[in-house]
Amino acid sequence: MLKGHLDMIVLAALSAGPAHGYAVIEEIRRRSGQAFDLPEGTVYPALHRLEHAGLLASRWVTAESNRRRRVYALTRRGVRALAERRAVWQQFSEAIGDLLEGTRPWKKPA
Amino acid sequence: MEKAGVISDYLDALASALSFDRSLSRRVRQEVEDHLWDVVAADQIGDREAERRAVANFGDPQVLAAQFAVVSLAKQTKRVGVALILVIACSFAAMKARVAWYAALQWALSEDIRPVGAVIGSIDRYSFRLSVIIGLGALAYIGSQRTPLAFDSGYRRQLRRSFYLCAATTAFLIVSVISDGTLTVLQMFGAELSAKTLLPIVSMAVEIACAGFLVFQIHGIAHRVRSTAALLKT
Repeated sequence: MLKGHLDMIVLAALSAGPAHGYAVIEEIRRRSGQAFDLPEGTVYPALHRLEHAGLLASRWVTAESNRRRRVYALTRRGVRALAERRAVWQQFSEAIGDLLEGTRPWKKPA
Repeated sequence: MEKAGVISDYLDALASALSFDRSLSRRVRQEVEDHLWDVVAADQIGDREAERRAVANFGDPQVLAAQFAVVSLAKQTKRVGVALILVIACSFAAMKARVAWYAALQWALSEDIRPVGAVIGSIDRYSFRLSVIIGLGALAYIGSQRTPLAFDSGYRRQLRRSFYLCAATTAFLIVSVISDGTLTVLQMFGAELSAKTLLPIVSMAVEIACAGFLVFQIHGIAHRVRSTAALLKT
């Protein structure tokens, strides 16, 4: 289920500001209260895919460790896409909430 | 030096699986290397164990390479879509320059080969028009596709369509270039190499180079498709 929403999760993690892959993964863990512990490698192809789709932009920077790292940031299209996905998700989540409200676990008749 | 080996072996495997796209391979290697050393630095366990864990948590290099390859394939297809139109525009400019040159010099085909020239001219026109129409269709189709999540049957179908459209555009353009070449040979038959013949020769060279460039680009798509499919098989 998480995989189907990976793009939205990555976009949401970058909404706080530009970050490199490792920081994106940490942000996802932190903001989800450690609930989303994604396989780390899957985030990078998602970052590349979102960049190719024009939702992210990236550039190389030199870290304090002197290593080169790729930093990603939301583009305007990315911000719009995140807002759209958030609206769709809220609608969906409210609908499911309404649907489940008042339901009880089914018991087999005696 | 097992300590340095765990991460570098993993990076070698990942980079080698992506060797069909050198710039992607270099970029992924640098990004993943930075990530893995960050994980090691944050881990409380001893270095060697931290490296093993970092690599294990990152995932199978072949599986990851296949995911990167899908994005690379989508990029290459989009590039070819744009290249189709640029190449057609370039060929058109070369064609028009040659025709304008003939008109300026009042250099017409000789009477006896004019009927043959007319037939070849028609083949040239129709094949060029078809390459423009199919090329625009290919660009519209490729541009309308979303970046895929995986190399699944839906994406393979989409790739096949894009490939056929690009190949058909190139095939018609090649027919047009061959027709142009034949017409140019007929036009210059008996003429000596001079400043007068320079522009037709250069414009033909441009057209041939354009068609060759497209063939090379389409071959690039086919190569990446094969490499991606091979990654999924392993």
